[in-house]
Amino acid sequence: MRVTNGKDFWAGLMFIAFGLGFMVVARDYSMGSAVRMGPAYFPTVLGGMLAVLGAVIFFRAFVSKIPHPVAVFPFRVWLLLGGLILGVVAYYSQGLRSSGIPGEIAHMLLAGLAIGLMFAAFGQRSLWVILFSVVIFGYMLKPLGLVLSTGLIIFVSAWGGHEFKVKEVSILFVILAVFSVLAFVKGLGLPMNVWPAILE
Amino acid sequence: MDALVTNLGLGFSVALNGWNLLYCLMGVLLGTLIGVLPGIGPVATIAMLLPVTFTLNPTSALIMLAGIYYGAQYGGSTTAILVNIPGESSSVVTCLDGYQMARQGRAGPALGIAAIGSFFAGCVATVIIALFAPPLAEVALKFGPAEYFSLMVLGLIAATVLAHGSLIKAIAMVLLGLLLGLVGTDVNSGVARFSFGVSELTDGIGFVSVAMGVFGFAEIIGNLEQKEQREIFTKKVSNLLPSLQDFKDSWASILRGTALGSALGILPGGGALLASFAAYTLEKKLSWNSANFGKGAIQGVAAPESANNAGAQTSFIPLLTLGIPSNPVMALMIGAMMIQGIAPGPQVMTERPQLFWGMIASMWVGNLMLVVLNLPMIGMWIKLLTVPYRWLYPSILLFCAIGVYSVQNSPFDVMQTAVFGVVGYIFVKLECEPAPLILGFILGPLMEENLRRAMLLSRGDWFVFFQRPISLSMLLVAALLLAIVLAPAVRKKREEAFVEA
Repeated sequence: MRVTNGKDFWAGLMFIAFGLGFMVVARDYSMGSAVRMGPAYFPTVLGGMLAVLGAVIFFRAFVSKIPHPVAVFPFRVWLLLGGLILGVVAYYSQGLRSSGIPGEIAHMLLAGLAIGLMFAAFGQRSLWVILFSVVIFGYMLKPLGLVLSTGLIIFVSAWGGHEFKVKEVSILFVILAVFSVLAFVKGLGLPMNVWPAILE
Repeated sequence: MDALVTNLGLGFSVALNGWNLLYCLMGVLLGTLIGVLPGIGPVATIAMLLPVTFTLNPTSALIMLAGIYYGAQYGGSTTAILVNIPGESSSVVTCLDGYQMARQGRAGPALGIAAIGSFFAGCVATVIIALFAPPLAEVALKFGPAEYFSLMVLGLIAATVLAHGSLIKAIAMVLLGLLLGLVGTDVNSGVARFSFGVSELTDGIGFVSVAMGVFGFAEIIGNLEQKEQREIFTKKVSNLLPSLQDFKDSWASILRGTALGSALGILPGGGALLASFAAYTLEKKLSWNSANFGKGAIQGVAAPESANNAGAQTSFIPLLTLGIPSNPVMALMIGAMMIQGIAPGPQVMTERPQLFWGMIASMWVGNLMLVVLNLPMIGMWIKLLTVPYRWLYPSILLFCAIGVYSVQNSPFDVMQTAVFGVVGYIFVKLECEPAPLILGFILGPLMEENLRRAMLLSRGDWFVFFQRPISLSMLLVAALLLAIVLAPAVRKKREEAFVEA
């Protein structure tokens, strides 16, 4: 048996994983009956159908006449597994969050690391650097204010691309920072602080 | 007839109200601005601009969104003609002859005929919506849960049949979308499903996050992986008005494109994409000039451009009357309506006539704006095409991030969007079309709700879906569609049709 269609191979695995995943998690909820469907009913049926379709796609990968390499995109299996394991650990250590501020921060870092590893498991460098810049922007917007977090997202995401010229990016940053303060805070009146929260 | 005039009169009084006119204009301009960027189609554009409209009242918000849609579509045609990069799948066929015209120094007439054809198609489609929406909505008011469930099955099947690529993958994507739509608190039992203890997930996965991540971020990442390499015809765009000969050559194509596009747009799963492909194929068969197709025939631009605009508009009919989205753009519209607190369905027309008719009238106004404002501004849009991508993408990312954050002032939403960016990237690489996913995502909770109600009413009898005539016929049509597509001869033809273009 040889995989001829790498895209079908991975797509099949992905659908099987999602289908089974939803079915397994749904086992915690009550199934009900056809007359009174419980919260588990519909997801279990759908998950089962998805897993079956996934299996068909998976087997098609071995007989397909459309050739695709198995390595369809950069994919780092160890990072993905690491991320998943950390994710499970984070799920079962949620008690930490109610044990005071250090515990809460530790849990956030753990969950953040899990998600970061899963980002880094796929694609070229540009993928995870860019998405990472978006995530920091989201979490830094409140403590750092709009101007500084705009700097973060612009510099980090520009660094993730092919060409990075400090002078160009600095000009871009100034223009965008001025524009977003004027348009979003002054113009649309979105509730965001312009400067770091400590200064205001 | 009288009712039509009064209704449209009400619509125009809403659409021509100063503020709504302004929002429509802003929508058209913003839509063109983002849509003209290579590689960003209407779905991504609408997803990125959705949060902007949340601060408005529902009527203005939907008017602006519709404006964004037409603007983005028009922007997509512009890039197709000038850069040979279709901004979206429905302008793929415009590339074929439009780009050839541009290479022959006739970019101006190509852009002109695209705009004029679109405007004509838009006028016709507006009248069709006004004529057909009310009777259809009346039929829909009689639908029970069983009919609704079957209708959604039909809609989803039709959408997968018309998606390009593998049928089985498209169905799997629908199922995945339905499942993702179920995340969050179950209305009946109050159980927080699939939330893994994350309090933000008990409200469900954010619709804006899924749309923006899968369509917006994934496209940006995909574009970055390809190095910039394009030939742009920016200098030679002059005399936009097509010559008299051009009009003589293409009026019949515009008419045929409009008729075909309007008809196909109404079908569930139809819309702009199918319309433009079908119109191009038809025109290639019927036109006296078919030998020149692919070499810069003006008919090859006029027909698909008219058809995709007509289809784009008539696909509002199932949305406004049944509350069922027929394509991803309509799914975004439904999402926007729900966020505004409007339950989509036949009751919108009777309960909110101003919104309903205002939106229909604004479609015509938006199309007029495209012709009157965008054609003269074409020089500015072209300048935008020359801005290097390394400046554009950080700016787009920033605006997306601000937009998604502002929906609920929540950093979690931003993170969630990034996660769906990765997911969308994987989908693209594995050739899993994301459009069916977003349809499923929207319909997931509705489908479960109607299934539950239908089963409760029938006391657990699954045959209820086959006993009621409307429901049965919809399921039969769905089965027929599947059977037709799976028939070997049609399957081959379908693959060819999508590959050819």
